Amino acid sequence: MATTEQRIKQLVAENLEVDGKSLGSDFDLSASLADAGVSSMDIVAFAKVVASEFDVAITRENCPTLNCLQDLVDAIDGR
Amino acid sequence: MPAIDTVWWRPYQTVGAVSIVHVDVGPFPEAEACAQEWLHSDERARWHSFESDGPRRRFALCRSALRAILCARFGIANNDLAFGESTFGKPFALVEGNPAGISFNVSHSGAHGLIAYAPAGRLGVDVEERDSRRKIDLLMDTVFTEAEEQAIFAHQGLSRIHVFYRLWTLKEAIIKALGRSLHLDAASVSLPLAVLRGKKQCILELSQSPGVAWQIRDLGNADFAAAIAYEEEIFDSPRRTAS
Repeated sequence: MATTEQRIKQLVAENLEVDGKSLGSDFDLSASLADAGVSSMDIVAFAKVVASEFDVAITRENCPTLNCLQDLVDAIDGR
Repeated sequence: MPAIDTVWWRPYQTVGAVSIVHVDVGPFPEAEACAQEWLHSDERARWHSFESDGPRRRFALCRSALRAILCARFGIANNDLAFGESTFGKPFALVEGNPAGISFNVSHSGAHGLIAYAPAGRLGVDVEERDSRRKIDLLMDTVFTEAEEQAIFAHQGLSRIHVFYRLWTLKEAIIKALGRSLHLDAASVSLPLAVLRGKKQCILELSQSPGVAWQIRDLGNADFAAAIAYEEEIFDSPRRTAS
């Protein structure tokens, strides 16, 4: 069974792009999405996709910033 | 300090004490080469760390334009200007190692960058190139209040896209002014009804910042949506009390 990290990387490849180019499935989850050039709008939309995929509520309490995807992985695994 | 023969920024608007500069961050190799020379070593390291050309170029052109603007304002050399970062990653200027008496904020999207600066007070700016392919439904309940959603869905087609981006940039400017970009509390910021009805400028008080009057202003044009939010005054100041 795929780990949360593997599933998130797959979602990254399918949903996040910069200047029309996918970030790919090998994106480093500890890297900053903003530094990768992902817009804040895309980051918020992506959090919504992840919340739907894992059936979780992503809140300010369990994920204080959306900029780092490892935070999302931790929030999901910490349910 | 390298000379800049062709600048890639120009004054865009002035709103109260806030000056807004437009930065052309489209492909412009000559400008990008010049911009790199203005970056300090830590900024060049960051420039190298970008994996894509677009983000790398937008960072270099906006940061070097910001450097040029602040150096001119303070009458200092480029080497005397540095930047620190708040807990939430919002940069601030240091002149000869000391916090500079200026507030600024930067945003870029596609081929457009905006730099807003003022002598004092918190401020935030946001610019977004409108993308009619964007699935705006996905962002609605995360970012907007019920009244804001209604204001957006009262429009159809391209008009809906314009209203969506207009309200998004106003909210993002407020959140950036509060120094909390990318946090999950966008829906807790309610835009005034007058703004939802199309008013371009408005004063509001935020529950996140009680006692402070915030001025928000729609800066959008045909090419992009944009907005600023800035701290105008403290409600209990003598001037406010007298009025």
